[in-house]
Amino acid sequence: MFINHALQEINFKIVYYGPGLSGKTTNLEFIHNYLHPSMKSELVTLNTREERTLYFDFMQLHLDRINGKKPRFNLYTVPGQVYYRFSRKIILKGVDGIVFVADSQKARMSENLDSLLDLETNLIEMGHTLQTFPWIIQYNKRDLHNVETINVLQTKLNFFRTTHFETVATTGANVLPTLKTMINEIITKIEVLA
Amino acid sequence: MDVANLSTGQSLMLSEKLFNKVTEIINQLLVSTGAKTVLFCESNGYAVTQVGAVREFDLHALSSLAANNFSATAKMAGMLGEDDSFKYLYHEGEKASLYISNIGFNFILIVIFEVDVALGIIRIFTKKAIVELAKELQKAQDEGEQTRQLLDKEFKSLLSQELDRSLKF
Repeated sequence: MFINHALQEINFKIVYYGPGLSGKTTNLEFIHNYLHPSMKSELVTLNTREERTLYFDFMQLHLDRINGKKPRFNLYTVPGQVYYRFSRKIILKGVDGIVFVADSQKARMSENLDSLLDLETNLIEMGHTLQTFPWIIQYNKRDLHNVETINVLQTKLNFFRTTHFETVATTGANVLPTLKTMINEIITKIEVLA
Repeated sequence: MDVANLSTGQSLMLSEKLFNKVTEIINQLLVSTGAKTVLFCESNGYAVTQVGAVREFDLHALSSLAANNFSATAKMAGMLGEDDSFKYLYHEGEKASLYISNIGFNFILIVIFEVDVALGIIRIFTKKAIVELAKELQKAQDEGEQTRQLLDKEFKSLLSQELDRSLKF
């Protein structure tokens, strides 16, 4: 969080984390398309030639003033592939909340777990843990036929019982509620710490 | 002001007094060099203050790209055995160029200038500005400058209402 008192701006950083091709960029694209132009920055995407995220995607959501204060949310995605671990560490720096985008397909369970453990390892290096850090898990691609049941996903991935959402990022189903809940959890956490 | 290293889940605040001082210094840098734009950003990419021509590009996107670019090269410096990040990044274009430097751990300075401005001038005056900015940041830290609390109880419920309105739930 960064507070600029002169401009009354309160800036937060939210990172969409998860394995490759789980739908992190699609989340941001939906949010960006949905928002009125006055509420958003440009959507920056840094892709490989194959249209996969190379470094990160970025956009800022800015809300109207609240009691004179301007809340701004910087939304990032990380590259999901295993070999981009240094990039993920850089993007996580200064993060206030994490949306973990899991791929619901049965065949992707091990990639989800690997990515979750990678996230926990990075958070521990930064002096945090998923047990206490504000984060949400999103079970994406619920429209596909070969998906795992929510019970199994909850048992295998959501071992800290954080808030979860069933989403279809391509249509935007539950994408905005995920974002709103993430923001509320960050604010709640700050209140607890204050 | 809290100028401790910003890490995950921690907050950093910039007071109005320091904001004004920083803006004054970067404005002087703009005038001295003839640069097109000077941006002062937090190291995670939050745009803090800027002078010169800023309406031609997306300020927040540029700040984010510059900050993450700087972080990536700092990692490369570490891999090469450097104790610190590289002192600056310079990207030369046909029309405009970028000169990016860090100010301690928490802030970066971005100078955008056109081809008619010599790189040497940018380097000399940016170095001078960085010394002044670092001094002001240190002074604020030493004085233990307090910032007013912005996030009160009421803020959360109003934020929730604003999100409902903006995102049309």
